[in-house]
Amino acid sequence: MGDLTEPFQFEFFVRGMVAATLVGVLCGAVGVYVVLRSLAYIGHGLAHSIFGGAVVSFVSGISFYIGATLWGVFTVLLINAAARRRQIGGDAAIGIITTCAFALGVALISRHGQFTRDFDAALFGEILGITSGDLAVIGGVLALAAAVVFAFWKQLLFTTFDSDVAGTYGVPVPWVEALFSLVLAATVIASLQVLGATLIAAALVIPPVTARLLTDSFTRMFTMAAVLGGASGLVGVYVSWFVDVSSGATVVLLQGALFVVALAWAVARSRWPGTGSGERLAAIEGATLD
Amino acid sequence: MVELAPSAPGHRPPPHPDGEPLVQLRSLSTGYERTPVLRDVDFTLRRGEFAGVVGPSGSGKTTLLRAIAGQTRRFAGSVETHPRPGERALRLGYVPQVEAINWNFPLTVGQAVLLGRWREMGWRPWPRRHDRELLANILERLGIGHLADRQIRALSGGQQQRTFLARALIGDPDLLLLDEPTSGVDIKTRHEIMHLLGELNRAGTTILMSTHDLNAVATHLPRLVCVGEGELVADGAPEDVLTPEVLRRTYGADMLVLRRGDAIYVVEHLDDAMTGEGDSEETPVPTTPVGG
Ligand SMILES: Nc1ncnc2c1ncn2[C@@H]1O[C@H](COP(=O)(O)OP(=O)(O)OP(=O)(O)O)[C@@H](O)[C@H]1O
Ligand SMILES: [Mg+2]
Repeated sequence: MGDLTEPFQFEFFVRGMVAATLVGVLCGAVGVYVVLRSLAYIGHGLAHSIFGGAVVSFVSGISFYIGATLWGVFTVLLINAAARRRQIGGDAAIGIITTCAFALGVALISRHGQFTRDFDAALFGEILGITSGDLAVIGGVLALAAAVVFAFWKQLLFTTFDSDVAGTYGVPVPWVEALFSLVLAATVIASLQVLGATLIAAALVIPPVTARLLTDSFTRMFTMAAVLGGASGLVGVYVSWFVDVSSGATVVLLQGALFVVALAWAVARSRWPGTGSGERLAAIEGATLD
Repeated sequence: MVELAPSAPGHRPPPHPDGEPLVQLRSLSTGYERTPVLRDVDFTLRRGEFAGVVGPSGSGKTTLLRAIAGQTRRFAGSVETHPRPGERALRLGYVPQVEAINWNFPLTVGQAVLLGRWREMGWRPWPRRHDRELLANILERLGIGHLADRQIRALSGGQQQRTFLARALIGDPDLLLLDEPTSGVDIKTRHEIMHLLGELNRAGTTILMSTHDLNAVATHLPRLVCVGEGELVADGAPEDVLTPEVLRRTYGADMLVLRRGDAIYVVEHLDDAMTGEGDSEETPVPTTPVGG
């Protein structure tokens, strides 16, 4: 039995596990709004764009968080402006901005070969390299997101459900959207070390979609997505120690497995009419899975 | 402006009750982003009115309702509202077109309705006892009390309309704006919804609704506004407004208007063979008046 508790004697492991759990909760909860507004591609794009910003700040000697934050805020404002123009071009503009930023990051990496290890972390996540400073940032962003969600629960829900009508009921929609974009950017920045740019979108999308399969209530979907995200973070990192697979990938694969189980359950249940599972299956078809 | 047909003696309330103005649009041009959809609109709605908006698809009915709610881009003119004393904005109860609602959203009837009270609920994410009582009351009043925990897709068309009517009513609105509240429901449900709206109006609620249903809905309202190609073509009592001339300018198609006593019937699909113009006093009228 000693084997099973072996990783806990290493402080860096415990730190990584706590970080992955918090990031799982954070991405699961924030992802609910991302999925319900069909903005998965924005989460994906934002992660790639912020990766570029991170590399630029690293190469130019600025702190990762300061560089990533400045770049993240800039990208979010740009994406918001692009998305508000509903004509053709909005999606394309976002795609161009984010992929160019990503390409810039990759270009800089290839010129500065010696940093490859750190950039590996930013691309695929490196949970065991989490410092207590990183942990503090993750905790801070989680607290920020929790405060925003608590204080603006109704405004966020109304805007997510129907932003056009929310305005007619006096919800300050542009402010709510801007605030949420900032929370999303902060979430991506805080998650970069843990999951890597390539896996963040998955952590934003899979737990909420899984939760949607299990319930028709917004409140329960939110709670379940946070719990599923946190649990897969915790268990994923623990398992990754033994199977010697990248921790970020293990977390996301675990989320994928949970999704498949929920899907199987929903499909089985949909054969019994009146359970609502058929509708839920139809509902998630709208969500984009990367 | 509007060609006035001799008005039939009726028992409808007058089109302009002498309440004070609630909303005034003056020479308003409004729309989205670059293009105005409605041009040079002058329109006043008074407290206690019950008015309908008709016009073809894409003419700007929804845009008119959204303009009153201050949710469109203003290019020229003004929107003036008169909130109740001590309040900064008009309280609106907006019921969107069913096509505009995301029915897949994980929202129960109760959660959807409580959104209409988001401001009054204060800082808490969850409803207090008073909110829950109000919710139960309003659902009961609309006959959907047993459906509070149903997801919004798992409802009939009539129940869906009532859900969003409940969301509009729970905020104690000065003005109800309804976008095609009778589309996609059967005759009986339509009758029930119109009856309900009539009751609300008699109890003092000001209502503006759009509709595609000229005969079953529009002709029974006290006041009608016709929107055609981005302009208000006519505004007044149905018996004054519903003339072949106005309908042609609104819909761009020839229609026949049949009258008998107080009843008006618009023949919407006119065969080529039928070229009769205007009022025909002799023709039997196949219509059942609703409410009013
Ligand atoms: N969000 C929008 N952005 C840009 N143009 C819009 C938007 N919504 C509507 N329009 C345009 O404004 C015009 C009027 O639309 P509106 O929705 O007001 O018509 P409507 O009379 O309500 O039609 P329907 O009967 O089909 O509901 C249409 O030409 C439409 O294409
Ligand atoms: Mg419309």
